[in-house]
Amino acid sequence: MKIKKQELIISIIIGIMFCVLTIIIFVQSKTISYTDINALENMQETELRKEITAIKTKYTEALEQLEETNAMIKEYEETINTDKEASVLLESELEKSRNILGKNTVQGEGIIVTLVDVEVGKYGKITANDLIELVNELRAAGAEAISINGNRIVNISYIVDLSETYIGVNGERIVSPYEVKAIGDITYLESGLSQKQYGYIDTKVNEGKDVTLEKSDNVVINAYSGTLSFKYAKEVE
Amino acid sequence: MLKNKNVAIILGIVCFILVIAIFTQVKTVNDMENSVGTTLSGNSDLIDEVLSEQEKYNKLYEQLEKAEEKLEEVRTEATAGNQEATEAEQELKENNMLLGLTEVKGEGIIINLDDNRNVESDEINISQYLVHEEDLLHVVNELFNAEAEAISINEHRVTNITAIRCDGNIIRVNGQVITVPITIKAICSKAIYNTLIRPGGYLQLMVDAGVVVKIERSDEIVIPKYNGVYSDAHLTRGDE
Repeated sequence: MKIKKQELIISIIIGIMFCVLTIIIFVQSKTISYTDINALENMQETELRKEITAIKTKYTEALEQLEETNAMIKEYEETINTDKEASVLLESELEKSRNILGKNTVQGEGIIVTLVDVEVGKYGKITANDLIELVNELRAAGAEAISINGNRIVNISYIVDLSETYIGVNGERIVSPYEVKAIGDITYLESGLSQKQYGYIDTKVNEGKDVTLEKSDNVVINAYSGTLSFKYAKEVE
Repeated sequence: MLKNKNVAIILGIVCFILVIAIFTQVKTVNDMENSVGTTLSGNSDLIDEVLSEQEKYNKLYEQLEKAEEKLEEVRTEATAGNQEATEAEQELKENNMLLGLTEVKGEGIIINLDDNRNVESDEINISQYLVHEEDLLHVVNELFNAEAEAISINEHRVTNITAIRCDGNIIRVNGQVITVPITIKAICSKAIYNTLIRPGGYLQLMVDAGVVVKIERSDEIVIPKYNGVYSDAHLTRGDE
């Protein structure tokens, strides 16, 4: 009876070891599938060069962020050591996060794209798809804030066709003319949309749509009018 | 006697899983080596450079993550005992979560999209059987329309500055290359499942077109944080 018990314990231990081993292998194979080496293999020389430039840009941005973060740490440490108020520092951090999140009205240089139904509900009608693509192109060109007819585009925004006449943005009903504002580097934003033939504007104009771009030194973009909060998503500690 | 038998069966199952895992692993590695081998003559230098730049970025990003953790610590320390500051800190944390700067979990939906490989290559409309970047844009839009709170595409977090673009035959999310099969994870009410599979919904249109679509509900989905940085270089606060 005693021997049996020992055997059982040994078996369980072996079982646990196997389980651990299995988990390790699964984790390992997961890691491999996430490195997109296959994609790299299929890329042309020019694409690979673009890839390198893109990563280098990301690197520079992250480096700036790191320097900024380190500077912040220093300033907070100073307030701890000298008993100064930390609230001013905190307020500036909070302002930045509200600006990019959409809780604040923001302003800055940028562009305004105007899209108009050529004939209401028929030929040259602007659809939700046109606006979805435009927002995507603006994001790709580095837009820091976007709005459509005064509705701030935030990370949970959506754009849908409601009827022949109306488009829904953030659940609000809007109608032509559509005024899409974007704040960011004017040069990047403009060149991002104005590529000859294949760029957003030329593509849409060729489809018979009325799309125009205008640059501005001071674009003002409203704060998001809804509330931003999560009901289902919880932070992973 | 019965106990021994049970143990033996469990061990057998574990061994079986282990063997399968090892085979899968070996196969993956083999596939990788084969594909590396085929292009060694061509762009291997450039591929090496991409990989080393990526590694450099990853290392820097790790540093950045550590610095941000440290910042959070000193911030908490600096604001300790100050009611107003503690509230501000709470809002900052919440904002960062809303911006996709933290890993989140919750119930939701997992969508798998894949090219249909059972199509003859002389089929005229071969393109309709493939997953395109516009499909991803529309699926993401539809998920947000159904009140999704956080979304990732192949483990890349979809944020307010995320672009989904096509570069020749390559799809990029957040500037990073992704390939099929594509997994879109969304934290949202599981009940939106019925909305997603409705006739005329975008996913149903994709199924009709011949793309391989799988949708499942899950009680716990983990969505990674955004691994880039937000720029506010051109933003200043405006008047309300």
